[in-house]
Amino acid sequence: MNRKMRGRGMASSWYGIARTATIDRAGAWAELDDGGTAKIVTGVTEIGEGILTVLAQVAAEELGVRPEDVTIGDNDTSRSPEAAHAGATRQTYMIGNSVALASRDARAKLFAEIADHWDVPVDSLRAFNGELWAQDTNLRMSMDEAVKTCKGRGVVPVGSASFTAHGTGLDPVDGSGSPWQAYVFGTQIAEVEVDTWTGEVQVLGVWAAHDVGRAINPRGVEGQIEGGVVQGLGQALMEDYQTENGYTTTHGFAKYILPTSLDIPQINCTIVEDPDPLSPLQAKGIGEPALVPTAPAIMNAIYDAIGVRIKSLPATPEKILDALRNHVPGREQIAQSARQDRAEAHRRGL
Amino acid sequence: MPKIDLTMDVNGRKVVKQTDPHKRLLDFLREDLNLTGTKEGCGAGECGTCSVFVDGKLVKSCLMPAAKADGAKIETIEGLARPGSLTPVQQAFHKTGASQCGYCIPGMVMAATSALRENPDAGIEEIKERLGGNICRCTGYTKIFEAVEIARDVIAGRLPETALDEDATGESFIGANVRRLDAPSKVSGRLKYAADIKMVDMLQMQVLRAPMPHARIVSIDTSEAEAMDGVACVITADDVPGTDGFGVFVHDQPVMARGKVRHFGEAVAAVAAEDLVTARRALAKIKVEYEELPGVYAPEDALKPGAPVIHDYAQDNVIKHIPIRKGDPEKGFAEADLILEDVFTTQQVEHAYLEPEAGIAYVDHDDVVTVLSPSQNITHHRHMLAEILALPINKVRFIMSAVGGGFGGKEDMIYQGMLALAAMKTHRPVQLNFTREESIVASAKRHPSKVHYKMGLKWSGEITAIEFDMLSDGGAYGMSSEGVMRKAAILSCGPYEVKNLKVDTKVVYTNNTPSGAFRTFGGMQAQFATESMMDMAAEALDMDPFELRRINMMRIGSRTHTQQELTTASLDRVLDAAEAASRWEAGAPKVRGPRRGDLGGPDTRQPCTLGARIGEPTVTPTNDERVAS
Ligand code: FES
Ligand code: FES
Repeated sequence: MNRKMRGRGMASSWYGIARTATIDRAGAWAELDDGGTAKIVTGVTEIGEGILTVLAQVAAEELGVRPEDVTIGDNDTSRSPEAAHAGATRQTYMIGNSVALASRDARAKLFAEIADHWDVPVDSLRAFNGELWAQDTNLRMSMDEAVKTCKGRGVVPVGSASFTAHGTGLDPVDGSGSPWQAYVFGTQIAEVEVDTWTGEVQVLGVWAAHDVGRAINPRGVEGQIEGGVVQGLGQALMEDYQTENGYTTTHGFAKYILPTSLDIPQINCTIVEDPDPLSPLQAKGIGEPALVPTAPAIMNAIYDAIGVRIKSLPATPEKILDALRNHVPGREQIAQSARQDRAEAHRRGL
Repeated sequence: MPKIDLTMDVNGRKVVKQTDPHKRLLDFLREDLNLTGTKEGCGAGECGTCSVFVDGKLVKSCLMPAAKADGAKIETIEGLARPGSLTPVQQAFHKTGASQCGYCIPGMVMAATSALRENPDAGIEEIKERLGGNICRCTGYTKIFEAVEIARDVIAGRLPETALDEDATGESFIGANVRRLDAPSKVSGRLKYAADIKMVDMLQMQVLRAPMPHARIVSIDTSEAEAMDGVACVITADDVPGTDGFGVFVHDQPVMARGKVRHFGEAVAAVAAEDLVTARRALAKIKVEYEELPGVYAPEDALKPGAPVIHDYAQDNVIKHIPIRKGDPEKGFAEADLILEDVFTTQQVEHAYLEPEAGIAYVDHDDVVTVLSPSQNITHHRHMLAEILALPINKVRFIMSAVGGGFGGKEDMIYQGMLALAAMKTHRPVQLNFTREESIVASAKRHPSKVHYKMGLKWSGEITAIEFDMLSDGGAYGMSSEGVMRKAAILSCGPYEVKNLKVDTKVVYTNNTPSGAFRTFGGMQAQFATESMMDMAAEALDMDPFELRRINMMRIGSRTHTQQELTTASLDRVLDAAEAASRWEAGAPKVRGPRRGDLGGPDTRQPCTLGARIGEPTVTPTNDERVAS
């Protein structure tokens, strides 16, 4: 065996969107504001994934303004409608749809006034990027003017909405039930190089294909995939929180090893869009699913490279060296013996 | 203690100040100069969030005593660009989406700036090495690399300045690469996280933590601590006015240990004092008498008859068991041509968000108890805290502060209750900032798991039956364990239609650090086992791993493991996309790495040898003579 061995492995995955085995819900308020700007108030929790920008895009699209014109703040239980937590890959789905619906509600108030003002049918109105117009006419105004006109007629264009995802509980005996209304699927391939002298594994490439329903911000989706892959890589190869009889022995980053810039494979993302038919935005989510297939893809790649199957994470250099020394026969031999057993049983007429 | 006089040039302005001699440069910048763009992620030189320039050299300010910087020229993130403008590096971070939670970003921008100042033509390998001392937990670094390369080329004139502009939007904002609205505040260090906020008259809290994993609390004497100058209050479980207990599914965790401690590092008492040093000193004056109890440190042991009981309500130590049954597994295995059985384990994993837990509580003018913290679930926290404080729900208010990474780890209300109690007792704002060590011992981890797996298949590749049995260590408190087991069970056997299955996931109490929510909520532990089994099966069946998955994959109309009929399913498309993108060479997974033709393409990186990238190697390259045997 050469010192440096390379191989590839793949793994697939699936994941449910929004809270599990329950009815999930989220509320939002929207207002078209002076200057053709917009205010969105919802109990959203930006934890770094970029949800505020996603919601600003959704509101801008629905209200006819630009994302940078949208003011959106973080969660405050005394000031915002309930939209619950940052978790369960739920915010784009739950709050995104809630903001879309609230924005439509606000827009409908504005459109009703402008349609009356221009004396055109309301369904001829369109708004995008700070402009409002009536199709097949020369009638056009800025959103700034539109809000002024609407307010001049005594109407503040505000809207609200609640979005629901219908999950059901699981049967306590057989677990049957419909825990989510939307599912996503993913597949990743990892390419590794194993140093058979040191046991060190380097991941050189990852190809990640994930269904997200509809990518509202493709760069943001990539960011989630890249971050998920690297957390998966950390868990696959190095991270290990340890206790000894209950006492923590990895109490800082000197002992708890995290991936750094030198550990990062080239990550090649492919975004697959299978629109969700049950929600107005048709988007699903990506936060958690991105991490699921990484570790098994890496373990499958290590096997491909050196014929060693690591079944206990993380695949540290010590484990790899140990497994190389005590080489366990691969599945091929097991399958052959299964075939022989079966043939034997057949002969005996069993 | 006598103060020391310091004179520095900070961001181009002369600063003359007296300060405490114990302060690190990081403390001096953050506390004395309010330059909070420089963050403390670890306090030990391991993360790089505190990076600044001292006389032009990149330095980790948590490692430098303030006194040592006397007379030096300091540059912090706030000083890189004039207010209202951004440097090309900052603009590039904005453009590529290189900042997510943003907590590592000021340090990362400093390191990137340093890299390009040291070598304006640095190649990607050198850039990676120069960023090697800065951890980012969110981004996977990829967009950061991209940003630094764009900035390098713009600065060198190889790319026009317009390369830093936002991508053009077409006819819709949906599907557009709109730049993150919060990025300018993150790349410039302007965004305030909870630990960066100061309120007038604010107290500092410190927490006394259990020195052992399982013990009865015989007594707690706080009198000496309370009598100290500068101590505003000491709180223990006795100060809780309502029903003590929080948790995502079962409210089994008291705000502070009540009667007994169940894990090492559990909060036992807390002090609020005029300053941090006084609060720390007061902790040493609290006398706690413990009677050590036998503990349980392995989930298998927790299930043994006669095992120590950790929570009275769960005499068997079981937090939750989720069963899923479908079809007739016995029949399925009888039909199988091949049966594989194996065991898979996963470890406990730390979230390692770069922002340690932090928060402020105060009682406002309407008598509303208000907690400001980077929590992932303030909706639920408000409910629980109202019960704990015995207050009407509208007299409890949670405000989310900027979250410096969460990944599930900030869903548990492990410190907000203490802050609220101290604020109510003192009617002053109280702040608590965890150290990294505190964050690691006190916060929940990813559930470690052990899966016994049995899979039956036909020679054709069809899966005929699966038996999946997972045991997880929930640690000392329930937290999200129940939900994690539910998700692990539902997703267990992967995206495949399996007619006959028996799935059990079980989580138990032990005296280990609690396990809780962590990105995938049990999904990765379960599917690690399944996807390993699938490749082992593909090898045994002499079949390409994509093919085996296609044979079994869920399709529209498939019934999931919980017997839900799918109305959409995209695995076929996803498999095709991944296979094509990776130029996958088909074949059975029989250790064919050495023979593959699809390796080392332009979509992979070069393997690295430490130190070999920068002109002057700082580390001796790995010695090829070193034989590990
Ligand atoms: S390196 Fe200084 S705070 Fe982490
Ligand atoms: S963006 Fe780097 S740690 Fe969050």
